[in-house]
Amino acid sequence: MKIEQIKIKNYKAFKNATMHDVPQMCVIVGANGSGKSTLFDIFGFLKDSMTQNITVALAKRGGYKEVVSRNTKGPIEFEIKFRESGKSELVTYHLAIGLENNQPIIEREILRYRMGSKGLPYHFLDFSRGKGTAVTNELFYQGDIKELKREEQTLAKTDILAIKGLAQFKQFPAAATFGDLIDKWHVSDFHINQARTTKDDGYAEHLSREGDNLALVTKFMYEQHNDLFNSILDKLKKRVPGIESVDSKLTDEGSVLLRFQDGSFKDPFLARYVSDGTIKMFAYLVLLYDPNKHPLLCIEEPENQLYPTLLTELAEEFKEYSNVGGQVFISTHSPDFLNAVELEDVFWLVKNAGYTEIKRAKDDSLIASLIREGDKMGYLWKQGFFEGVNPR
Amino acid sequence: MKHLVFLLEEESAKALLENLLPRIFQNITFKCIPFEGKSDLEGNFVKKLKGYNVPNTFFVILRDQDSADCYVIKNNLKEKCVDASKPDTLIRIACQELESWYFGSLVSVEKVLNISNLSHYSIDKRYRIPDSIVNPKQELKKITNQKYRQVSSSREIGNIMDYRNNTSKSFNVFIEGLKRIIE
Repeated sequence: MKIEQIKIKNYKAFKNATMHDVPQMCVIVGANGSGKSTLFDIFGFLKDSMTQNITVALAKRGGYKEVVSRNTKGPIEFEIKFRESGKSELVTYHLAIGLENNQPIIEREILRYRMGSKGLPYHFLDFSRGKGTAVTNELFYQGDIKELKREEQTLAKTDILAIKGLAQFKQFPAAATFGDLIDKWHVSDFHINQARTTKDDGYAEHLSREGDNLALVTKFMYEQHNDLFNSILDKLKKRVPGIESVDSKLTDEGSVLLRFQDGSFKDPFLARYVSDGTIKMFAYLVLLYDPNKHPLLCIEEPENQLYPTLLTELAEEFKEYSNVGGQVFISTHSPDFLNAVELEDVFWLVKNAGYTEIKRAKDDSLIASLIREGDKMGYLWKQGFFEGVNPR
Repeated sequence: MKHLVFLLEEESAKALLENLLPRIFQNITFKCIPFEGKSDLEGNFVKKLKGYNVPNTFFVILRDQDSADCYVIKNNLKEKCVDASKPDTLIRIACQELESWYFGSLVSVEKVLNISNLSHYSIDKRYRIPDSIVNPKQELKKITNQKYRQVSSSREIGNIMDYRNNTSKSFNVFIEGLKRIIE
């Protein structure tokens, strides 16, 4: 599953922006307030819309009037083009949300793709205001478009996504794939202090957004995936001098402590006494070596607290994750991190008259030419070649 | 319209030029590329010469002399420019540092930092010849009571400096060189 294009209209600072040729690992730079977090939040918005409904998703973000771009009435539109695998059809998911009698409604929701290489894209799902049609024999279809069976359907309410219902059924593979991506989408905005906290004993397979369940995931990895856990430790030892081991310990009070063992001392340190960088590096390794990879992983500013030379290896690890696991989106301010990524990976956001524009480094002939001469992305970014990106 | 690319040793030179140049030259576009010190500049500017694919671009390299020999620095840079097929690159040295140019116009420093009577230092025999002050950055900090800030003061000096009456020789040679390219 790979997203190839994202089009956004009237969503906060994105009045009309398109991100095309999205790579497997997508690195986004931009000044503070340029819209990096908003871009990631599109997936959060879709997830809230899918697990609940658009009314809830909008309310969580301050309501329709706060979410719709200033000086516009809407509708808020998202269009995401993706492929299930390298060679499969390009599928488009389109969603338009408007406001009617102060109630958010789904003006249009379409899932479409082209059959074969010719002809117009076919609407496999086409809903408007709670009513619409869905093709029910998509999976078995081999021949003529005329053989496709459409079924009229009515949704329970006008603020519910049609893919919410259809994603559960096997006969709608495109809807299921997209639904899965949105459902398992994950953002990591790691907060060191959250990760240091002691947790009541419990069970967690995946690291949470802020990393507050690091001790629980450590326990899970140690118990269920010991080989992976050991390779994480090996990597950590190489990057953080002195660290011998990490474990999680259940206390008499029933809480779980994360402990780091320094080779020079007999007793391990509790996580709260360990340096920020050590915890962060460990947390990223836990996130990246997760046996069940997220189909779409967004990471906010991974560079904070980390020693600059470690960022090259971290960038390589994200790349690796994007090759074997899912697609990765990373926002960064770090020239060192950028120096470790490719021209094709980098996009930048710039505000123009209040609205965000998305630019692709590869499309800038000057940047591309300098990279060919051996320059690096991080230097070029710092030297002001990403037009409009530096704060004034 | 000519396009000039300035390859600079650090951010402060960029801050100065971005504000000063538009006041002197109206018929150019330009871009300042700050490096991270002189070894970064010397080691990496050739990539910019080779990769900068905008037509009608002239390059200007500006670095501090510091304690090195002016001619050695210049020849060394010149050689690299010739190797990169950009022999017409203008190479200028700030003697000894960018701050020497500010000693050449203490009136503007006085205004920018709001210190009265700073300009009387220009008749002091230690500061009378700006380009021969040994440690101009340190000296400027000293006489301004540490008020001088490399980047933000440079930006403001660029906004108001009287470029026609600067007593620093290397500053005037820099401006003359630019005029020759542009006019």
